[in-house]
Amino acid sequence: MSSVPGTTQLIKEDNVTHSFCGLASVGWLYQKIRDSFFLILGTHTCAHFLQNALGMMVFAKPRFGIALIEEGDLSRQDPNLDEVIAEIKADHHPSVIFLLSSCTPEVMKVDFKGLARTLSTPEVPVLFVPASGLVFNFTQAEDSVLQAMVPFCPEAPAGEKSVVFIGSVNDSIADDLRSEAEELGIKVGGFLPENRFDQLPAIGPDTVLAPIQPYLSRVVSRLNRERGSKMLRSLFPFGPTGTRVFWEDLAAMFDIKADLIEREKAAWERISGQVELLKGKRVFLTADTMMELPLARFLKNVGADVVECSSAYINKKFHARELEALEGVRVVEQPNFHRQLQDIKQQKPDLIVTSLMTANPFVGNGFIVKWSMEFTLMPIHSWSGVFTLANLFVSPLKRRENLPEFDESVWLKGVMPSAE
Amino acid sequence: MRLAFWLYEGTALHGISRVTNSMKNVHTVYHAPQGDDYITATYTMLERTPEFPALSISVVRGQDLARGDSRLPGTLEQVDEHYHPEIIVVAPSCSTALLQEDIGQLARHSRVDSGKILVYDVNPFRVQEHEAAEGLFTELVKRYSLEQTMTEKPSVNLLGFTSLGFHLRSDLTSLRRILKTLGVEVNVVAPWGAALEDLRNMPAAWVNVVPYHEMGLGAAHYLREKFGMPSVLGAPIGVKPTLDWIKGLLEQLNAIATEKGLPAVEMPPLTEFSLDGLSAPSGVPWFARTADMESFSGKRAFVFGDATHTVGVVKFLKDELGMQIIGAGTYLKKHADWVREQLEGYLPEPLMITDKFQEISKKIEDEMPELVCGTQMERHSCRKLDVPCMVISTPTHIENHLIGYYPVLGFEGADVLADRVYTSCKLGLEKHLIDFFGDAGLEYEEEEKVAGSNGHAAAGSSSEGAERDSQAGGEGDTDGMPWSHDAERMLKKVPFFVRKKVRKNTENFARENGETTITAEVFKKAKEALGG
Repeated sequence: MSSVPGTTQLIKEDNVTHSFCGLASVGWLYQKIRDSFFLILGTHTCAHFLQNALGMMVFAKPRFGIALIEEGDLSRQDPNLDEVIAEIKADHHPSVIFLLSSCTPEVMKVDFKGLARTLSTPEVPVLFVPASGLVFNFTQAEDSVLQAMVPFCPEAPAGEKSVVFIGSVNDSIADDLRSEAEELGIKVGGFLPENRFDQLPAIGPDTVLAPIQPYLSRVVSRLNRERGSKMLRSLFPFGPTGTRVFWEDLAAMFDIKADLIEREKAAWERISGQVELLKGKRVFLTADTMMELPLARFLKNVGADVVECSSAYINKKFHARELEALEGVRVVEQPNFHRQLQDIKQQKPDLIVTSLMTANPFVGNGFIVKWSMEFTLMPIHSWSGVFTLANLFVSPLKRRENLPEFDESVWLKGVMPSAE
Repeated sequence: MRLAFWLYEGTALHGISRVTNSMKNVHTVYHAPQGDDYITATYTMLERTPEFPALSISVVRGQDLARGDSRLPGTLEQVDEHYHPEIIVVAPSCSTALLQEDIGQLARHSRVDSGKILVYDVNPFRVQEHEAAEGLFTELVKRYSLEQTMTEKPSVNLLGFTSLGFHLRSDLTSLRRILKTLGVEVNVVAPWGAALEDLRNMPAAWVNVVPYHEMGLGAAHYLREKFGMPSVLGAPIGVKPTLDWIKGLLEQLNAIATEKGLPAVEMPPLTEFSLDGLSAPSGVPWFARTADMESFSGKRAFVFGDATHTVGVVKFLKDELGMQIIGAGTYLKKHADWVREQLEGYLPEPLMITDKFQEISKKIEDEMPELVCGTQMERHSCRKLDVPCMVISTPTHIENHLIGYYPVLGFEGADVLADRVYTSCKLGLEKHLIDFFGDAGLEYEEEEKVAGSNGHAAAGSSSEGAERDSQAGGEGDTDGMPWSHDAERMLKKVPFFVRKKVRKNTENFARENGETTITAEVFKKAKEALGG
């Protein structure tokens, strides 16, 4: 156990858990960056993962693919991707190709940086993105993708003070954040990433970096190191309190005094029905998407009792404010799922926020669950996201109330004979 | 090195876990990096398992490799302590195979009884889903089956039914119903729902029934060699093949009955196989002869899938529905010879053997068949080409995992297949109308292209038109307020499938707040108030 500000307990376990590897990030990033192609150097396993677990349909022309390492390729440390790259360029005309590593080529010690360098042209850079499951969980590879783009962000001159939001969100959220900032008198320099690779924001010493997703610690500290940009250290803009604190802190970095307490009150008022239902509810977050800290903090703000908040990666600096706000909550980094299962069966929480792999089995064991992945794909940011955020927690609880009594001994019969 | 977007067969790990997820008290531990565990989601999401699949990961992290640590012994101990399995199957991953880790050696370092551990050390770069599943199942049967006294009544084992098999539950039900009608007992179903005890009891059955070519043959072969058990091989897909299958089964059973001096199993009247016990067991023979089905004779069909379903469906379409087969193929290279042999005389051109969906997609585009029977991937290719397609084989999509009774095997399976063909194809008069008048007066709301080109704005505007048209035709309360250009642009950024709802809610909000035009400002306020 290590100490963090306040009395938050931070326990570290062995990461025997159910979650995805970093390649999962491709699922939203290829849609976000519209002139990109995501090329994974990987095996059959990587391909099977992307097509199955993420439920990804092959769209008309998917802008991601796998350069497939087959048995015959294992002896070569310098895979030849020339033809693959030529095929991608001919079919997709991308402005950038992200070359993602995976476990097997990492074990093979493929020189990805060298490979990316030789494949790059001035017109179409090929950028190395470390993403393998040997190091990265789920959303973390977005951090790698953003880092790969850093050299292509123009240098903003000193004295040009503006905010750059860090994290991929959809256009609708981006518009909201932009206009909110402008209303507060904050100049917006852009987003990393923007919708197109050829529209990256300028970043310089007077840029304020405002991370809007909680899994992007490394790109933020890298920009701070390389460009001298300033980091916003605040709560993440989720829920009324998080949103108020985020905007007030950001405004303060521009020497603007913003008092959004009325706004926060109004936001709480709008979700008072949801708050009523969540108050006192015992919630367990099992670790999956690395959104867990701010989600747990929102639940705590609501008055729910967070029994355990687990996350695959916690950065004591980057997450300092969230950890502080979680004072008194049991926080676990890299949890052990077997232990969690045992605790859950004893503690009987009212709601479990958990991965796609474990959601239905928890329901089968009599619990109410919310898929953690939904929080990464729903518009839950800032003021306009408050309602959606609250409803994501409330809807499984309400739904259970709306369904009739369920006799497991009758209605689960034969669904999974191996467990009977 | 090739660029792959999508693959037909799953990994070796998928095959192994399909077997162990089917079985009681068998746990799989994968020695693999974080994320290889995604496989668990295929069970919990597609089969909606109400219990945790018995699959755990012994995580391999980069830092462990650097330090030379392995978490495998510890994970095995945790699994043993928490779940008390009878046996733990340990499987390697791409990474650990490449590292040439001796997982047998590592497993021995755990405190778990070594008799409880089965190291299934396949090479994931060489072996894929079906071969791994079949290999492990055979291995388990070899390891556990024991000499038994034969059951008194005629009985069978149903071999090869496996988690995530194509229409697995329904096919099992269909065969169980036929066997029940015949008065034949089911001794063991495996691996689906089987415990190790059931594997021990397998040799008590009279005959092994192995409907799938991909799964169960190895076990049946072993049981024949070791215990002299006869097998009935082949999938009863279609009415005639079902009758032949029953006949073959009765021959095997009655040979044993004669030997034992027991009464023969009689073939009951065919009506007894029907759901109500009064009717013909299948509607297909009559259906195929009706006048409106005449148009089938000229219909050109292409079939692609695993070995079992490709063979079964080609024969069904040609022999029982009188359709024209323009070609067929399989992605299972290892079974291609068998498929070719089975389809001798059915195909006008050589069997296609490929695991590249693009080649099949190209074939479909070149031929534009009137029916494609394929996997989830062909359905996808066909959607783009507007070619009718029905899914007849794994790999599947969640939409193929329905809760209703849709067998492929047996009499009822023939009915389901014929219905699928009927509803998939553009038929007779309807087709003439569409060909003649363009859209036959039907209005389809055009779906927005989600990904692909960068022309999302253009795609958006076409569905926009459709939306407004349908709105104008809707209830009277949506008379439609004027929207400013900016507000419209913002609305377009809302995902298309909720756009209509957002438009309506925004207008209601505006009305309540005394606004007359939806400006960007009003839209923003509404969004905030209503929650996006």
